[in-house]
Amino acid sequence: MILLEINNQIVEDTLTVKFKNALAGHKLEVTDVRIADFDGALFHISSPKNDKSKIIISICLKFYKDLQQHGSDQLLKDIYGSFITDTEDGYSVSLQVDLEKIPKNWEELVKKIGLLKRNCFAAVFNKYFDFQERGEEGHQRAVINYRNDETMYVEAKSDRVTVVFSTIFKEEDDIIIGKVFMQEFKEGRRASQTAPQVLFTHKDPPLELLNTNARIGDNIGYITFILFPRHTNRVARDNTINLIHTFRNYLHYHIKCSKVYIHSRMRAKTSEFLKVLNRARPESKNTEKKTITGRTFIRRE
Amino acid sequence: MANMLPACVIDVGTGYTKLGFASNKEPQCIIPSAIAIRETAKVGDQTTRRLGKGIDDLDFFIGDEAFDSVGYSVKYPVRHGLVEDWDLMERFLEQCIFKYLRAEPEDHYFLLTEPPLNTPENREYTAEIMFESFNVPGLYIAVQAVLALAASWKSRTLEERTLTGIVVDSGDGVTHVIPVAEGYVIGSCIKHIPIAGRNITYFIQSLLREREVGIPPEQSLETAKAVKERLCYICPDIAKEFAKYDSDPTKWIKKFDGVNSVTKNPFSIDVGYERFLGPEIFFHPEFSNPDFTTPISEIVDTVIQNCPIDVRRPLYNNIVLSGGSTMFRDFSRRLQRDIKKVVDARLKYSETLSGGHITPKPIDVQVVSHHMQRYAVWFGGSMLASTPEFYSGCHTKQAYEEYGPGICRHNPVFGTMN
Repeated sequence: MILLEINNQIVEDTLTVKFKNALAGHKLEVTDVRIADFDGALFHISSPKNDKSKIIISICLKFYKDLQQHGSDQLLKDIYGSFITDTEDGYSVSLQVDLEKIPKNWEELVKKIGLLKRNCFAAVFNKYFDFQERGEEGHQRAVINYRNDETMYVEAKSDRVTVVFSTIFKEEDDIIIGKVFMQEFKEGRRASQTAPQVLFTHKDPPLELLNTNARIGDNIGYITFILFPRHTNRVARDNTINLIHTFRNYLHYHIKCSKVYIHSRMRAKTSEFLKVLNRARPESKNTEKKTITGRTFIRRE
Repeated sequence: MANMLPACVIDVGTGYTKLGFASNKEPQCIIPSAIAIRETAKVGDQTTRRLGKGIDDLDFFIGDEAFDSVGYSVKYPVRHGLVEDWDLMERFLEQCIFKYLRAEPEDHYFLLTEPPLNTPENREYTAEIMFESFNVPGLYIAVQAVLALAASWKSRTLEERTLTGIVVDSGDGVTHVIPVAEGYVIGSCIKHIPIAGRNITYFIQSLLREREVGIPPEQSLETAKAVKERLCYICPDIAKEFAKYDSDPTKWIKKFDGVNSVTKNPFSIDVGYERFLGPEIFFHPEFSNPDFTTPISEIVDTVIQNCPIDVRRPLYNNIVLSGGSTMFRDFSRRLQRDIKKVVDARLKYSETLSGGHITPKPIDVQVVSHHMQRYAVWFGGSMLASTPEFYSGCHTKQAYEEYGPGICRHNPVFGTMN
């Protein structure tokens, strides 16, 4: 697995089971499931007020306020339409599905709900991609604190959209692996001509963020993507959003994978060394050696 | 707690891995503990051969996908509950966390389970993987049997909640009888029974094969499995049960309908004595396995008799069931009755030995059955990980960096953590 999946498998599985049960006419049961996702997202699938015939799917994103400023409400309304319901307490968005009136294309619906988190993110990108398309400049850059201490900036120019992620490395080893990984990423552009330009800066924010209160520190890295019209046009847009909104998790996933790989190498090396050590053990002298016919050799000193 | 995200509970078993977030009632994912990797035919040590080049280390599948993959070889990193291949285990966990749970491991506390008699070294390896590779903030390694005991608390009152009891854990491969005293497993007294879910399925399959002709041969195993899961129960007395079926077959003999997977033609079979004979092999193992003839009730009794004398009464008092193969209807009642019979006979004997002078206090035998039995271990873990005391009992990353993996050799017993 190189890329992370964008849909939430567990949400989809839970809903599929529910829908299938309801369609098969089984007795409905009260649901109450809490599921986490990347970036501190939290799903809650439940039956409202113990009404077994309905299901509420809520998502909690700490930074949803930031997203709302960029029209995420409208986008979600376009996608989910009448499924959107009053937001559950403590959550950001809620969808409600009636198990007695399951639409025919419920499999599609399940897929759509599995992408809830992605769709929450999409609005910001859509907005700035539009700015770029229309060639509008001078819009304020979007600042989204998508995790504690980690921020994403999106800015549109007439010829490009710049997306900057700040990310924190909790361990020193991670910084080094992250750096190497990002260097490879820069190199990777040679293999793929259409890939967007990527810059990685460690400690200091990139020049785009000059004169902002972007954090400076030993364990902070900034990743800048420069998206050109070929990435932001209507056709490629969805794929770009899919990939870019999971980028932070993708990076950390690969840092962890690299560590796992290093561990495997270390284990292999250890077992090799152990073999060498075992070979180096002196042979004991007084063992009797026998041939296959049972005769013994006696060593002459 | 600083982080409001729920802890991740991962129960890696020999056959299946149960994954989910704390505070839920059921695991969110149940996947086979299998990993499919590409193997090369190069010479050399297995571990070195596996390393590969470039991003070969990401080229693997776990769970159900492992069986669907073509050109890969399927491996099981866990054998008999113990991790055998740490390389594969690490990669298995990597995908469990990122693909199935979709959790950033730096944000979640983790609860992993271990079988009884796991070695302290294994705990250290686990800690190394979790803290070094995944940077988890906190880790707790719980013993499966203790979690199964905790899971039974749901059906009991507050005073009755103890961590002393016998866990009868029956999954697909093997059944364990594990005594636990105040949260500690009495390792020397554990017994294994070679009768479990798979044996019942095979037994039902052989019974059906003798009688029913309509089952497509390649589907006979899954048919037997479905029959076992849907129609089987435990009867109080086989002789009477046979008589019941013979006198009123229409009431007792059930129909099972299936569909031939190739021709799509439906087939229907009668399910008769199999309904009670299948699970009966727990109590009469000689039906299916001529080498093993001790019924489960006797084994539970011997296990308790092997334990220190001061815990025997509380152990009789709290016999907890866990695992899918204990889900048969009336399993708990039958087990309770049979153990009671053995215990009462022993008390009677000791009374006659004393010449009638001493009447021993009767022993209360209680077998606890509850709703969460199927995934009892995972549920116990989910329950434990949603309490605030879990966070105080966890080994933290700071402690790990300060003292090293050795700290994970011991995990404080849940319930007495404070």
